[in-house]
Amino acid sequence: MRDIFSLVSASKVALAALAIVLFWIFVAIFAPVISPYDPLEQDSTAVNQGPSAKHLLGTDDLGRDLLARVIHGARVILVLAPVSVLCALLVGTTLGLSAGYSGGMVDEVVMRILDGIMAFPAILLYLIILFAVGASAINVVIAITIAGAPGIARLVRSLTLDIRTREYIAAAELRGENPFYIMFVEIFPNAWGPIIVDAMLRVGYAVFAIGTLGFLGLGLPPPAPDWGSMVARGRTYIWINPWAVLWPSLAISSLVVGLNLFADGLREEVTRYQ
Amino acid sequence: MHKAIPDLKDQYEKGKMTRREFLRYASLLGMSLGAAQALIAGCAPPATEVPPTEVPPTPTTAPAVPTPTTVPAGPRRGGTLRVRGNIGRIDHPARFSWVANSNPARHVAEYLTLTDENNITHPYLLDSWEASDDLLTWTLNLRQGIKWNNGDDFVADDVVFTMEEWLDEEVGSSTLGLMSYLTEENIEKVNDHTITLHLDSPQIAVPEHLFHYPNQIMNYRTFEGDFIQAPVGTGPYTLDEYSEGERVVLKARADYWQTGADGQPLPYLDEMVYIDLGEEVSAWIAAFQGGEIDAISEPEATVFLALQDDPNANIMGTPTGQTRVLRMRVDKEPWTDNNVRMALKLCQDHEKILAMAHFGEGAPGADFHVAPVHPAYCERPIPPYDPDRARSLLEKAGYADGLTVEIAVASDWTDVVSYAEILKQDAAPAGFDIQINTMPVSAYWDLWTEVDLGVTPWTHRPLGTMVLSLAYTCDDEGEPVPWNETRWCDDEFTSLLTQAEGTLDVEERRQIMCQLEEIQYERGSIGIPYWQGIWMIAHKKVQNWKGHPTQYDLFNELWLEEA
Repeated sequence: MRDIFSLVSASKVALAALAIVLFWIFVAIFAPVISPYDPLEQDSTAVNQGPSAKHLLGTDDLGRDLLARVIHGARVILVLAPVSVLCALLVGTTLGLSAGYSGGMVDEVVMRILDGIMAFPAILLYLIILFAVGASAINVVIAITIAGAPGIARLVRSLTLDIRTREYIAAAELRGENPFYIMFVEIFPNAWGPIIVDAMLRVGYAVFAIGTLGFLGLGLPPPAPDWGSMVARGRTYIWINPWAVLWPSLAISSLVVGLNLFADGLREEVTRYQ
Repeated sequence: MHKAIPDLKDQYEKGKMTRREFLRYASLLGMSLGAAQALIAGCAPPATEVPPTEVPPTPTTAPAVPTPTTVPAGPRRGGTLRVRGNIGRIDHPARFSWVANSNPARHVAEYLTLTDENNITHPYLLDSWEASDDLLTWTLNLRQGIKWNNGDDFVADDVVFTMEEWLDEEVGSSTLGLMSYLTEENIEKVNDHTITLHLDSPQIAVPEHLFHYPNQIMNYRTFEGDFIQAPVGTGPYTLDEYSEGERVVLKARADYWQTGADGQPLPYLDEMVYIDLGEEVSAWIAAFQGGEIDAISEPEATVFLALQDDPNANIMGTPTGQTRVLRMRVDKEPWTDNNVRMALKLCQDHEKILAMAHFGEGAPGADFHVAPVHPAYCERPIPPYDPDRARSLLEKAGYADGLTVEIAVASDWTDVVSYAEILKQDAAPAGFDIQINTMPVSAYWDLWTEVDLGVTPWTHRPLGTMVLSLAYTCDDEGEPVPWNETRWCDDEFTSLLTQAEGTLDVEERRQIMCQLEEIQYERGSIGIPYWQGIWMIAHKKVQNWKGHPTQYDLFNELWLEEA
């Protein structure tokens, strides 16, 4: 942990990015306290309004407060994106370690299947999965897991192929350790650096993917304050109420930029450290 | 003259019928519009006797209907009209299930009749029609001298052939349900220009049914099931190009049968181009304001809101019977129980839904599928929002702890999604937990008759009985007709509907409609949140621009100021 802190503090870019990410994490955690209204509360007397003292960011087409929806939308995305990436990490790491350590037929079969999945453009894969199983929070997580796991598996496999040739692995094998112990206790802890950096980038991609799916009507079903859905809904009224599009768009872009810059800064420092 | 016309005149004179209704029914019974107008010239119904239901109530916030400020000097010839439209895949016109598909094609192929923007039906490819006293025999007299765009003569064989296509189960036309009173054997060709229809049951709305949008007349010599392959029609344009999802190019023909104000054959325009700009309405607005298109076919409410103050936009607003139907499958739990259906209906705050989902542009619904614009509409109060009664009905149905249901809606229909969201919030106090399942429009149209609970758009029909027979009846074997998406069959309702379809006396028919509306409200399978006001939007240089409640593009007599 101290290593991570010292790595981050060494990079100004990573520090600035971390501030953006921490801002959104703060907003998400304290949403019920700082939100001025219930994000689902409709007000037929205040439809499609611009910013005012009563509604700081304005209202949407059903008179819902945009600030409240953006704040609560952070909760949605900051839960879904890391959970999706965590699930993808779990699946991808297991497959990558197994393929890389076992080699031979297992490696061939696992990697060819994953190559097959990777041949699909990610957005197409999301659409196919969500069309098949329907749009919901769990299904969004499943879609991002399926689309993300092959890339992680490929990275973990390449790291494993390198690490398995080390002497301490041979020593563990001589001690008679079982393959699971060797993969998860000996190999994985020595491969975590690049995996963490990759995961940070993937959280940014996941935020973007969730926003895109919401925009395409395949994110969280209404009336959830999903940022992507808010952009999609707001664009219908963009000629009379551009604020409804602007705020969720800014929220998505700031969070994605924050996560990506953080990952970039971290990678630079890891590379320098190594 | 049909023997009922003097009775109609009497009803008009006594104030039991509006002028518009008199003209509608006189024309439906075969009288020309001019003759009908002449018959009642000088007659005026006593204003005090006009019951309030005779005139379609004005919506709470009527759609804006700006009057063009300049009177054009006269039609000018030439030019190209560019229209935004949905260019879908089409083959057999009888299978059209979307008005948008019929709009480019209706300028190439035509109908036997025409229901105009005032909801009055005129002969079109027909010269006239006559109905027997019992409304069981209809004689259709075809207009003579009309030629197809390939040079063939338009004759009775074309009409008989096309009607047989409508009634062929293998073709799968919605007309099969609409004109269930007609069978192929009962279409009699009298001579090359006369056809007699022998109906199974009395029906007043035959001419209106002939203008149902899939009922374009085909050339029996050339049509083989795909109109794009052989686009032979009697209309003023020929089909030059049809690119699905892209554009349709229509070129004027020189020998069209109708003439314009200048004595020359219509149309005034040289060319019409329908351009598909996708589903993104912002692109439509930008294209209109950027001068890339001259008119927007089937604009949504948001397009109207964006362009209502545009100085170059000529917007024609029309109240309609177009609506969004909250439909519940009565053969699926929990909607088999009328208490549950009524409970959900009571969770609608109709005025609020209209104000928020459709910006107050239209009229509130009352949970039966007959609109204030329909001639025989029987006025009933708008059901109040009553979550307390809804909760007690749910308890009675055995759902004291509440009920979770899923509602299917298409995400592209913004007002439908808004309606579902408002319903979700307003139904929560009654004990409903509504999960909204959004899907693309194409996915919804794949499932619209199958989902347990959903919201389906229904377009305007000129008569209330038309939509009731299309969507809420069953055949002789008790099977729901093809568009009966809720599977609701009610013998008393069907019997009364058949009676209404054969009843000429307007007051008598209105009384039947009152019963039909009462039954549909009390034990039916639908909620009607609101009737949509709709618009036709064109650039001010487009002259003779009119609205139409069914959003039919009737562009034969348009011209451009700057040709």
